Amino acid sequence: MNKSNIVFSIILLFAVCMTAFAQPEISPERKQAIDSLALEKVKDLGKYISIIGNKDTPFSEANRVIDRALELFAEGSQMGVSSLHRQDIKYYGIREYFQRLMALNYDRVRIEWFNIQYISDLVRQPDGRYVGVITVYQRFTGESDDGLKYVDTTKKDITVYVERKQTQIQGRIIGFWDVLLGDIRVTETKPE
Amino acid sequence: MRLTFIVVILQLVHALVSAQEIGSYLGDEAFMYAETKQINQFFRRFNSEEDLEGKRLFEGNADYRSPEFRSNYIKMLFDRENGSITEDTKEDFISEMTNNSDPSFLDYYGGRWFAEVDAKFTYQGQSRTVVLFLELEKENLGIKWVINNVYFYPFTKMFYTDSTALAKFLHPMSHELDFMNLIKVFNEPETAEYYFDEDFKPDFKTLFLYEVKQGDLVFETIEKVSFHFFQLEDWYFQLKEFNRPGYNTGWLISNISKIAEDQKGMLLKYIYYEN
Repeated sequence: MNKSNIVFSIILLFAVCMTAFAQPEISPERKQAIDSLALEKVKDLGKYISIIGNKDTPFSEANRVIDRALELFAEGSQMGVSSLHRQDIKYYGIREYFQRLMALNYDRVRIEWFNIQYISDLVRQPDGRYVGVITVYQRFTGESDDGLKYVDTTKKDITVYVERKQTQIQGRIIGFWDVLLGDIRVTETKPE
Repeated sequence: MRLTFIVVILQLVHALVSAQEIGSYLGDEAFMYAETKQINQFFRRFNSEEDLEGKRLFEGNADYRSPEFRSNYIKMLFDRENGSITEDTKEDFISEMTNNSDPSFLDYYGGRWFAEVDAKFTYQGQSRTVVLFLELEKENLGIKWVINNVYFYPFTKMFYTDSTALAKFLHPMSHELDFMNLIKVFNEPETAEYYFDEDFKPDFKTLFLYEVKQGDLVFETIEKVSFHFFQLEDWYFQLKEFNRPGYNTGWLISNISKIAEDQKGMLLKYIYYEN
């Protein structure tokens, strides 16, 4: 390898490394595509929550779904929950939150999602990743055989982390946007 | 202008009708559309940078930053149940913000807005509220929230509360006695600050961090959050979240004042509990 080849290789290696760390600006069109991807993840989360909360879901299946749901989240993510009666935020790890949902003492549980979502702008963090928040609404109904019924509507503000990553497919380096969910703030709302 | 207003009304009606149509899916979602769901949405509505369904508008779109849209949006952004915000103030504010020749917009990155967070901590076996002030700070190519001020009532009771403190000083010949009189300073720690230089100002941020690191202040939870905006020339307003039935909900202007730029420093001190 002659001197110019070595220099070229170093520049190429440097460029590849830089690409790995640099997070490009996000155009409006790109933002739309990322929003769709993020919404898909939020919808997946919604499905998982419904399955985990469903009393007909066998225990082993619910645990399997919890593991799948956790894959959507960045490590260390938490749920911060407040209610109309308690404004203070109560914190749960995501797994703990799902396990509590699974163990709820109702004979029938129905979890439904309102057909509305609000997606914030994406803002760049100091580490180069982007962060945004998606807001969705959920209605929870729990019923016991003795006729007791509990209904609440909650607003869920879900953190979304967006990161440009690279993967190698058949020797070619392909860039893609990866989306992970983060902390979720759950607020009980006062419906109309 | 009249045509635009009609279009706005039609769009509002359309949004409500759409919401009702969608509402048949689960329930009436109209109030969710109306709610200012995020601070991000407050910015966008204030600037008319999203449509009525919450979709982002960009430069080049006819409604982007439209003065007529903004007038209608900003009207919706006040807490209507707050009688102390007069209609005159609202109109004055809206007219200045949407002035055709020199409109004002909110800029997320523009500084001069910050958060006030009441957080509950355990301190000496009791639940106590610490007020944390946070602002956005740029780092690298990104941005982050940082704590830039702290208020904790027990700290204020530690300093300069002795009305008989006039006699508390080290006399000017103390040096001849090897400062043996320092013992008097530290035997009365509750008044030790009177022996410090006149520029000394207790730094609550450092005190707070010290107590946290010592394990004497332990975080419990967040009690409430509000935002203060000093960014718009000659205006100040505060944002609070209203969780209640109806359409006038979410993040709304709970307090607003027309205030000259050179008076803002005093207001800031008041908010920081420095008065």
